Order: sequence, then C-alpha cells, then structure tokens
Amino acid sequence: MSSRIKEMMRVATARLGGEQSPRGGTSQAGRAEASRTARLGGGGGSLRRQPQPQAPTVRTIYCNDREANAPVGYKGNSVSTTKYSVLTFLPKGLFEQFRRVANLYFLMISILSTTPISPVHPVTNVVPLSLVLLVSLIKEAFEDWKRFQNDMSINNAHVDVLQGQKWESAPWKRLQVGDIVRIKQDTYFPSDLLFLSSTNPDGVCYIETANLDGETNLKIRKALEKTWDCVIPEKASEFKGEIQCEQPNNSLYTFTGNLIVDKQTIPISPNQILLRGCSLRNTEYIVAAVIFTGHETKVMMNSMNVPSKRSTLEKKLDKLILALFATLFTMCVIGAIGSGFMWEVHNRALSRWSEMEVLCSAYRFCGVFINEKYFYLGLRGRVEDQFNPKNRFVVTILTMFTLITLYSTIIPISLYVSIEMIKFIQCAKFINNDLNMYHAESNTPALARTSNLNEELGQVEYIFSDKTGTLTRNLMEFFKCSIGGEIYGTGITEIEKGGAERAGVKIDDDEGKRSATAVHEKGFNFDDARIMRGAWRNEPNPDACVQFCRCLAICHTVLPEGEETPEKITYQAASPDEAALVAAAKNFGFFFYRRTPTTVLVRESHVERMGSIQDVAYEILNVLEFNSTRKRQSVVCRFPNGKLVLYCKGADNVIFERLADGNHDIKKTSREHLEQFGSAGLRTLCLAYRDLSREQYESWNEKFVQAKSSLRDRDKKLDEVAELIEKDLILIGCTAIEDKLQEGVPACIETLSAAGIKIWVLTGDKMETAINIAYACSLVNNDTKQFIITSETDAIRDAEDRGDPVEIARVIKDSVKQSLRSYLEEAHRSLRSTPGRKLAFIIDGRCLMYALDPALRVNLLGLSLICQSVVCCRVSPLQKAQVASLVRKGARKITLSIGDGANDVSMIQAAHVGIGISGQEGMQAVMASDFAIAQFRYLTDLLLVHGRWSYLRLCKVITYFFYKNLTFTLTQFWFTFQTGFSGQRFYDDWFQSLYNVIFTALPVIMVGLFDKDVSASLSKKYPQLYQEGIRNTFFRWKVIAVWGFFAFYQSIVFYYFTAAASQHGHGSSGKILGQWDVSTMAFTCVVVTVNLRLLMSCNSITRWHYFSVAGSIAAWFLFIFIYSAIMTSFDRQENVYFVIYVLMSTFFFYLTLMLAPVIALFGDFLYLSLQRWLFPYDYQVIQEMHKDDPHEYSMIHLPERSHLSPEEARSYAISMLPRENSKHTGFAFDSPGYESFFASQQGVGVPHKPWDVARRASMKQQRQQQHTGRS
Amino acid sequence: MVIPVLAFVGLIFIPIGLACIVSSNKVVEVVYRYDTKCVPGNMLHNKVAYIQNASIDKTCTRTLKIPRDMKRPIYIYYQLDKFYQNHRRYSTSRSDAQLREPKAAGDVAEFCKPEAFAANGRPIVPCGLIAWSLFNDTYSFARRNRLPRDGDHGPPPLTVSKRGISWPSERGHLFGKNVFPRNFQNGSLVGGGQLDPRKPLSEQEDLMVWMRTAALPRFRKLYGRMEADLVAGELITVTVRNSYNSYSYAGGEKAVVLSTAGWLGGRNGFLGRAYVVVGMACFLLALLLTLLCLVFPMKEEHLLLR
Repeated sequence: MSSRIKEMMRVATARLGGEQSPRGGTSQAGRAEASRTARLGGGGGSLRRQPQPQAPTVRTIYCNDREANAPVGYKGNSVSTTKYSVLTFLPKGLFEQFRRVANLYFLMISILSTTPISPVHPVTNVVPLSLVLLVSLIKEAFEDWKRFQNDMSINNAHVDVLQGQKWESAPWKRLQVGDIVRIKQDTYFPSDLLFLSSTNPDGVCYIETANLDGETNLKIRKALEKTWDCVIPEKASEFKGEIQCEQPNNSLYTFTGNLIVDKQTIPISPNQILLRGCSLRNTEYIVAAVIFTGHETKVMMNSMNVPSKRSTLEKKLDKLILALFATLFTMCVIGAIGSGFMWEVHNRALSRWSEMEVLCSAYRFCGVFINEKYFYLGLRGRVEDQFNPKNRFVVTILTMFTLITLYSTIIPISLYVSIEMIKFIQCAKFINNDLNMYHAESNTPALARTSNLNEELGQVEYIFSDKTGTLTRNLMEFFKCSIGGEIYGTGITEIEKGGAERAGVKIDDDEGKRSATAVHEKGFNFDDARIMRGAWRNEPNPDACVQFCRCLAICHTVLPEGEETPEKITYQAASPDEAALVAAAKNFGFFFYRRTPTTVLVRESHVERMGSIQDVAYEILNVLEFNSTRKRQSVVCRFPNGKLVLYCKGADNVIFERLADGNHDIKKTSREHLEQFGSAGLRTLCLAYRDLSREQYESWNEKFVQAKSSLRDRDKKLDEVAELIEKDLILIGCTAIEDKLQEGVPACIETLSAAGIKIWVLTGDKMETAINIAYACSLVNNDTKQFIITSETDAIRDAEDRGDPVEIARVIKDSVKQSLRSYLEEAHRSLRSTPGRKLAFIIDGRCLMYALDPALRVNLLGLSLICQSVVCCRVSPLQKAQVASLVRKGARKITLSIGDGANDVSMIQAAHVGIGISGQEGMQAVMASDFAIAQFRYLTDLLLVHGRWSYLRLCKVITYFFYKNLTFTLTQFWFTFQTGFSGQRFYDDWFQSLYNVIFTALPVIMVGLFDKDVSASLSKKYPQLYQEGIRNTFFRWKVIAVWGFFAFYQSIVFYYFTAAASQHGHGSSGKILGQWDVSTMAFTCVVVTVNLRLLMSCNSITRWHYFSVAGSIAAWFLFIFIYSAIMTSFDRQENVYFVIYVLMSTFFFYLTLMLAPVIALFGDFLYLSLQRWLFPYDYQVIQEMHKDDPHEYSMIHLPERSHLSPEEARSYAISMLPRENSKHTGFAFDSPGYESFFASQQGVGVPHKPWDVARRASMKQQRQQQHTGRS
Repeated sequence: MVIPVLAFVGLIFIPIGLACIVSSNKVVEVVYRYDTKCVPGNMLHNKVAYIQNASIDKTCTRTLKIPRDMKRPIYIYYQLDKFYQNHRRYSTSRSDAQLREPKAAGDVAEFCKPEAFAANGRPIVPCGLIAWSLFNDTYSFARRNRLPRDGDHGPPPLTVSKRGISWPSERGHLFGKNVFPRNFQNGSLVGGGQLDPRKPLSEQEDLMVWMRTAALPRFRKLYGRMEADLVAGELITVTVRNSYNSYSYAGGEKAVVLSTAGWLGGRNGFLGRAYVVVGMACFLLALLLTLLCLVFPMKEEHLLLR
C-alpha cells in the first residue's frame, strides 16, 4: 500500500475515532451484556440495548447481533431492478406511454372527439390508441417480468449465515447488516462485506473484480489480524465487533471505518472490504460480516442508468412526423378558411355532366361557406357556434379543430409500436439467434441488449475499437525467440497468414500439421525441438541458452498457484506477457514452481543429467520493478553458490542503450531479428544479464535501501538508483510473444473498410504496440503516409527535465498545434497529388489531451476525417469517450464503439452504438453496451447483414407508414372540399379507427421482419452495399417526397374515381349510390391498393407476405360483411347498413375495384421500373446479377482445392510473404496502468494499479517484520 | 416478369373497357335543365321571391325531343347542383332509430336539431334537416305527337311509377313499417315536400331516396320509372311543378333526366375510357421496358462506379 493511502487512512481514522470515542465507550458497555444473549432471527433477547442515536455521517454496525442493529432499520439485502410494481404499473406505465408525442397527440384528439365539434365518433381515435397502448404495456410488463424474475433468482441465491453456532443456508434477501456469513470458493459476495477470516493461513483471500472493473487478474484482500480466528463457527459466534464506518456511497475504491473489538479500535481499509459483485477465488472459504446490503452496496449505488440511446433514423423520423404535423396544419388551415370565408367563384357553364367537371370542381374552391342562403342547413335563429354564419371567425377556429380531429390519421399512431415490435423481434429472433455470430468455443451467441438501435447498425461510418481483448485476444503466447543470434520457433503468426492471404496465397490452417514436438498450452505456442526440455544443450551456444532460460525463470513477479507439477501449475501474473515468459522457461527445462518472500525455486533439468532433476533456490535480493518510464524490469539474485547476477528484461531500445560494448555481431543480428518479429506482429522483449561482484552490489544496495526508505520522491529516487546498476549489460537474446489477433480480424477489417467504414483504434497501449497492431490489421501498411503526433519528442523531454508543469504543458501544446496544422496541410496536399494514397494519423493520449482543446479541435477533426485510419494510443477511458463524441458531435457521423473492458465503458456509451465483447470474464463493457458479440469478426455479420437489413426494413416501414396514412387522409381532404368545408367525415368511424390497426397493420410488420434485398452471403460478398446505409440513401427527403407524391396521386384516384359513382344510376335498376356507398367503395380501394403497394415494394416475398396481405384484405371484407349486416348500437348512425351488399349488386363496384388500384399503382409501377433500369440502387444491381441463382445457399463458395500438397502449399505461401521488413519492432510488456474508470468518474485518483499478486511476497515480508517487531 | 404482367393487364383491360363503352353508348340520356327556364321572365331577377310565393302557379310545361330510341324501362332522375347533402350539419341531422322504430319516435334531440321538435313541442317524425328539406318538384310526361285516341292501341301512356326506386335494404330494414309521419312540416317554415301521414315510412320511397345522402354537391336521384318505349324524334311534354327552392343559393341548378340503363347503369363513358387508356398504357409501358432492356442493360459497373 502506498504511503499516500496510509496517510489518507490515518486522517480518516482520526476523524472517525474522534467523533465516535465518547459514544464508543457506552456502546461497548452494552455490548458486553448483549453478547451473551444475541442470536439470530429470534425475538428472545432478554436484554435490549437502548438504541443509539447515530450521527448521520456514520453508521455503526454491531456484528452478529440482529437486535442491536434492528432499531436503525437498515435496508434488507433484496434488490429490485424492476421499473414498476403491481400498483404502480398502470399509472406509471401509462405516464411513460404518454410521454411520446404521438400518443399524447392521440389522447388529445380522443378527448377532442368527444366534443360536438368532432365529426367523428370517439371510437375512431380511442380504439387505435387503446390498441397501441395495450401492445406497448404488454411489452413493458413482459420486460419488467423478466427483470423481476432475474431479481428473484439473485435474491434467492443461498449463502451460509451464522445461526447460533453453526452455518445455515439462507437466501440472499434474508441477509441483514451485521450478519456473519461464509462465502465459498467461486461464489459471489452477496453484499458488501468486512473480511474477517479466511481458510488461507495468512488471512488473505483472492477475489476477482471482473464484474466491477473488468480486470481479470486476481486481487488480494487481507483480513485484520485480530479477526483471523473466526474461521470456525464456534469462534465466529463469539466475535462481537462493532463497526463504525461511513454511510453507503458509490466510491468503489475508498472506505473509511473502524472495527472496535475488545475495546481496541482498528482502522479498516479498502483492503478488508469485499464488494458485492466480486467473487472469491483460490480460497476454500472466507468468513465476513455484512456492512452494506441491497441497494446500499457500492455496486448497486454505482449502477447508473445507462443513457438510453435513440437511433439517428428515429430522430429523423421525428422530423418526418413534424413535417406531417405541418402538413396537417396546412390542410386544416385551408379547410378552416374555406369554411368561414368565401371565394367568389363563377361557375363555368358546363354543357354536360362529365367526370372532368367533377375533377375540376375540386380546384374551383366551390365557395361554400356558412351562409343562411343554404336554407336546407337550417341556419336561421339560434345556431351553435360551429355553424353560426354571424360569427365566421369562430366558425373558422372551430372548424380548424374539427379538421384536426378528422385528419388525425395522417399521424401514424401505430408507427412507433410497430417499429418497436419489429425491432424487438429482429433482436430476439434474428440477431440473438444468428448462428453466424455464435461463438461455439465460449458458447456465446450474439446478444442485442437494446432493441432501439438495430437500424443504426446499418449506417455506421466510424468504428472505434479497443485493441486488447477486442482486436487481440489478450492471450500472450510465447512464440519465437532469438538466443545468441539464432532464431528459434517456426510458427507463422495469424498476422503473417493474413498478409499472405491478402497477397493471394492461401495457407491451410496449420494446426494439424505441426511437428510432434510442438507444444501449445496457455501462454506457450512454440514449435522447435532444438531447445525444448533442455535440448538446447546441443545447440552451438548452450551458455546463452542457460542464461536465457534462467532470466525467464527468475526475472519476473509471477506467482505460481496450484500443484507444483509442470502440468498442473498455473501462473498468476500481473500481465499475461510475464506468465507466458515463465511458461516458456518451464518448457525449456527451468520450471519455476515456488516463490517465497526471499527466494525463487526453480526445478532445472538438463539434458546432460537426464533424469537427475535439480531444485535450485535463487535468492532474490532486489526487485527493480517495471514502470512505464523505465520500460524494463530487473532482479538481483544470488545463486546457491553465492554468485550475484542481475537479470534484466525490457524494451529493445532501453536494453540496447545499456549494453556493454562489444559483441556487435550478436547485437546486429538480434536487431534484425527484432525487426523481423516486429513485422510479424510479435511483441518483443530483450533479455540481458550482468554479473555483479560482491562489492559492487553492496555499495549499490546501500543506496537502494536509502532510496527505498526516503519519504519524498521515492519512485524517482528508486529509478535513479536502478540506473546505477542496470548498465554494462550483456545481451542474451530476445523473446517474441504473439499478442494473438482475434480470429478473422484482418479479414473483417478489410471487409468493413470496403464497406466504407473507417476504423479507429483507441488503446491504452504504447504507440509501438498500437502501430504494430494497426499494421497487423492492415489498417496501416508501408505505403501509408503516417502522421504521428507524440509526446516522446526531445523538446518535450527537455521540458520535462526542467520540471515546470506549466512549461511542459505549453511546450506540448505548441508542438501539437504546430504539427496538427502542418499535417493538415500536408494531408490536403497529398490528397490532391496522390489521391489513392492511404493516410494514417497516430496520436498519443497526452498530445490528444491538448489536441482536444476547443481551439485545436477543428484541425484535429479535419485531419482525422481525411485519414483512412486513426490510431490513438495511451489514451485514458475518458479520452476514448471524448474522441468518440468528437466524431459523433463534431462530424455528425454515425459512430460505433467496440470494446471488452471497463476502460471501454465510457467510449461505448459515448458512441451511437456501443458493442461489448462478451464471453470473456469481464462483464462491464457488455453491461454498458447495446449489443454484445463474442468476437470482433462478428461485426461483419452484425453490420453488413443485420444492420443493413434492419436499416432497409425500417426505412421501408417508415416511408410506407407515411404513404399509407397520407393516402388515406388525403382522400378525406379531397372530400372536405366538396362538403362545404364542414368537416364531414368521408369514412365510417370504424373504418377509420381500424384502418391503421387491423387492415394495414400486419403486412408492414412482415416487411419489417422479412424483407431481404440480397441474401446474407451476398451482403458480405459485396460490402459496398453497406454504403447506401452510410449515405442514408433510403430515408432522404427525396425518397419521402416520391412516396408523398404518389400518395397524393393515389388519393386523387381513389376519391374521384369513386365519387364519380354517385353521378349516375348504377346497375340495370338505375338506382343511385349514396355517400356511404361511395366511401365504402373508396375505402375498399384504399385498403386493397396500399396492401398491394406493399407487395410491390418488397424485395423478397415470402409466404408470410402473402398471408398477411391477403389476410388484411380479407379482414376488411370480413369486417364489412359482418359490420354492414348488423345494426350496431355502437355507432350513432346506421350509415353503412347493407352498403357492401348494395355495392356488390352492381357491376360498377367490381369494375372500379379492379380499375382504381391498377391506375393508382400504375404511377408507382412506372417509377419503380424506370428507377430500377436507369438509376438502380446498388442492391438492385446485385439482385440483377444474381437473379438466376437458384438459391442463396449456392452462394457459399467452397474453398478451392489447390493442386499442391499441403507442405508445398505452405512453403510456397511462406515464400510469398512480404519480404520487406517493417520498420517497427513490437514491444510490449504490461497491460497499461490506467486509472480505473469508476475512480476517474468519481474524481478519485487511484495511486497505482494494484500489483496485488506480485506484492504478496513483500506483504509477507512486512508481516514478518510486524511480527518480529511486535514480539 | 414485369413485362408479361403489363401485357396481361393490357390484354384484360382493353376488352373490358370496350365493353363498358359499348354499354354506355347504348344508353340514351335526355337532360333538361329547368331551374331558370321554368321561371317567368319577369321574375328572373328575383327567383327566390318567385319560389317562395305560394300564390303563383309553378307548373311549367316544356317539350323534349327524344334523340334516339329508348327502350323500357326509362328512368327519371332529378339532379341538383350545389346542394350539399354531405354537409356535416345536414347529413348528420337525422335519427335512424326513429325511422326504424316507433318506440324511438322521441329519440330526436341529440341528432335532429334544429328540426327535432315541432312548434307544439312534440317530436317530429321523420326529424332532422334531411327529411325536412325533402325534394318536392314533380314531373309528369305525355307524348306530344302521338296523342292517344279512342280505340287506338297505340303506345301506352307515359305513367311514372314510383315503386322500387329505393334499395331493398332501406324498404326492408331502415325505414319502419309501423312508423308514420307525425308533426312533419307543420312548423313556421316549410323546407320541402310533405309526406302522407297515413303511409308508413317503409312505403315513402321518395323519402328513402332523398335520405340516402349524396356524396357530392352535384347529384342525381331517382325520381321514378316509365315502363314505355320511346322512339327517336318523338316529342314528349314534361310538366314540371317547380316548387323546390334551389334559388336562394348560387349555382342551384335543377334538371330532369330521362335515361335508359344498361348492365353497367347509366351513361358513363368514363369507366370504359379509363379501362381502355390504362390497358393501352400498360401495352406501351411493356414496349418501353422491352426497349429499355435492350438499350440499357443493367451492368455491374453501376456498382463499381460509386
């Protein structure tokens, strides 16, 4: 623990202690009495303590004593994440629904339609509104029910609670503050706990905090020594501590409190706190006391409401709805003015009745208004306001409302709920069930966590990707090495394979063809018999090999776990690189199996002494730890024979600077090897050693001890001291570790680039590593022009050496400003001169901080948008989010973030779409994400297939909704012109109310679900298709205008074709059709036509389409047959009684029904054909190209068989690999030491990444010292 | 696939259209607009005063020439213009329950205003503006040049039958057999025609026709039927009793129409023409698309251009 924390704790303790000391005394007195009687659950405590008044900032917990805690009334441990309860469901759910504008609008219309100004019965608006609300509420209830069940299963998980003198299993929800619980290995902590004791002898336990921060390495928690004996229930039941601590808060990394036991006050640090959500590892069980429960636990208090995202399409949809409102308003104004005022119109004397005249009459503004002249309207005397000719202004206003009620169908009420349903089913049935996105190894399917953003996936232009765990597997495997100028290891990396494949060479998967000596285990994937298991003895330079292996086996901070055999042991390391190196040493015959505070035990097996295995104990004198400035790690050790050796491993440039003179050959070849490894995407480390004489060491050690015990600038002084001994090193060789790319990443990135998506890598890693991975993923290649802005320049270093922070900031800012400007110019120039050249922009976090300054932001954005790929390295989580929102807000492009760790959470939330990599241990990214997939490569399917389809479908659904409602409403509008602008309804109330929810509802949902322009395999084969989504080709105003135009045209056809019917006698009986006959005929035409229009716009027609379209039309006929056959009491008038039968007795009806849809759709048909032939969309081109393909399965091309034998092919492939070596050598050592995301959110700096595992040894040492000090 | 569909549609539509045109052309229609012609010349400047003056005899007799042979039955329509039967206030001013059920006679207040109650406070049957404004011009016809003589079994007289001019559903269900007109047109202001209080509504076919409100402000309604053949060139006299006020509003045309009916109904060339036009358009489009196919075949370059 760093000194800062200790100091912090001291302060906090003093404060707590000071406040509490007087009261502490009294409660202690009470405790003595209570301790004899306290037991769980029962009410039998004969002596009751007086409730203690508590200061609001402090909580006092009496362990193991429920009665004592009862008066305070702590919350229980059951948690609820549901939105509603049974009682609040209806009011709250309805409230939520009416927050939607469309629903609220319809509520108002419904209210309006109960007043006499309404031309329609309330049923017209109430029925669709209720149906929509019903569907939405059922969905809400269903989702909440799932949440409830989830809560229930958590609340009912069992944990062992101390009851009297034994452990009894109890559900989590019964847990109370102060209870003593026992947690077994690999189970989760039910609440925030104070760690009392563990089965591990030294009172430690290992916990995994992946659920909290995504870090998968184990952390150590250590109980207070005072409580170590509580392991057995007898002892635990005697434990009567009192905990005074802070009130629940959401800071995960701080805790202040005291444990008062036996009148002794012991400060509690975060080191004794076990948080809910973490799990216990490598420990049989622990005993702990409950301090915070349920919603008061830190993890629950941290559970922020994930900001709900709305897709860009939906935001654009809002604009469309606004446009519809504007249209509605215009229509109403026209109608209202027509109702109140008069245009003097001179009738043209038309000689004969003709339909042309009927058509013309609409444009003549018939000049009807409220006037007493129309005696048959009965406007004399007292007339209600709406029709009172004496007050035309009021007439106008009221008619306005009347028309709003009448035309309310222009707002597609069922649109939102339809979209919701479509998206929900898309997620549940398609995305979550897509076998192409199912990762068999980890048994993880894709998971859509929100259903809001499906179509957003079809429009992504920028992808921000984390590196570790997303592009790479975070699985370090020892792959190659160079010892004394000789390369060992024959594997081909994924990256080389990718490169070869891009060069047109196919390499068969070599898993099966490796030599028998190849070993593949965790951290080790190596194929070279020459040095395995001591075989290096026969190599030309055995001494170097010994040094190499020893260095690997000794110089590290790894902790072995488990049985001490080479097969069963597992290594716990702070970074997977280290574990890989130790695993390599094991396979080379130097098996590191035990660490004590002062020694490293290695079982060495040499070939010359085959069978005689020797256990050697190396005494570790000093560990010079790794940090990012040193970029190296050294260990001073004493051999059993007393020899002192310093082993060092680190970055090539750091090691090479410190090498002793001479041996230029090895240095030169090693450098070449490093470059070679680097270009293969491997992470390299150089190993070196130095023999120390006793005097040298002792004089240095004095300085070291001094530096270690200094109080100020300790880290800096330690670094300086380390410099003194880490010199004159002798190079042993170098290691190459494969940071394995996730499967299929290069191919995926290439496909995505072809789709017009730009990929940015945002990583906390070093620039070298990041560039390396960028090379590996073909984001950058040797032809790419790179713009690099780094803080590792001489000018900045000089400033740093001077040490003035203001000066440093100024220097960095100036250099960033200057390079941004010059790069931008250069990029523009390059764009003009060589347009085809790829540009890449690489910046590190420190410079990014200044570049994000508002003044420089424009340049930054300009430069990064020109560049095809951008790499940001050494960036903090916050910066990741800033970059994402820079593009999102600054460039207004649609962005997607993908990551796997807690450090990606902010980025995931900042982008339009956040994707978490699931199936690994950390869940934080997944919990914050909108979609979770198991592998980066599934992005191809998610974006190019599902995203694109969703986008196409949604566009179609929305534009179709727009069209069908506009068509329907416009027929009403034309009728208004001929009713004297009175607002008389054209259709029967039930027609209008069921139009949206029954007669035209299902087919459009079918289209939203099943429409497919091209098959999934073609979508991936032609990634260019995706660009239509990026350009938003299908939801532009132009597209909407085309739909709008045809809606206009069709509505005229429907209205006037059918209205003409009332002009003549029909049928041989010469009888005349009335208004309701006409409107029923028009409605029939509308229903038939809009359903057929949908079929026309489908790309793929399944039987579901036929069913739903035919079903909808049939539903209409069924409805009208029944409805017009009965006298309904629901309707105030029997308008449509027998209407359909009257209609069906005339030939005219059938002829019109055949003609009107054909004429109406003729325009669409003409437009669609011409568009398809002359200006086809990309997908239509692909459709034409593949229209003869019998079935989509035939699209999957079988891999071509080569005629070469596998060996030949392989060697040929290798020979075809790019010859040119990369200028980069990969170097990486650690996972970067970020500040934790949560901590930074809280403004709490965590001083150091806890190297918990590695520190265990030193802790032991400290404890021993304490022991000795105390005794 | 598109082109055959178009050709098929064309193939179907053109014959249908031709059939419609033939049928429509067979129909003979005589329209006589009398709203100004039946007003005496000295009253033309104040037609409203003319129509509202009950003391003037409004009978007017005119001669019509039959252009072509008209086979029985000959339907007689009256046609009105600028008469907004579809006005919201007008078309909702009725009570269907009252028309159907004697019990619901008083069920008028909600729907029928302002013609719900008579001056004595009793409910009007049939109530509402529609019934109140019942059309009441009458027509009678006679042959001019072949007057019937004794013993001559010439063509039958031109009697107008008013039975069966409404739809059966109206006679059978919407208008009750036991509902008789009450308090009808006895207010201070008489809107239109009177009803025989002894006849139940189910027999008042003029009312039924009138109350099947028209969709457009210019409409025809069936007045009656003549079971007689007329020959080309024949002159007939129409005796119009012009009593319905269509003069207080502008454009209030009135006309009487004699028309035969084909299988499709009255003279209506529009439907047939539309069918023919659409059919031809389909053929044309099919041709055009075939050309397009040959001239601009779709190419992969389209995709690669972008």
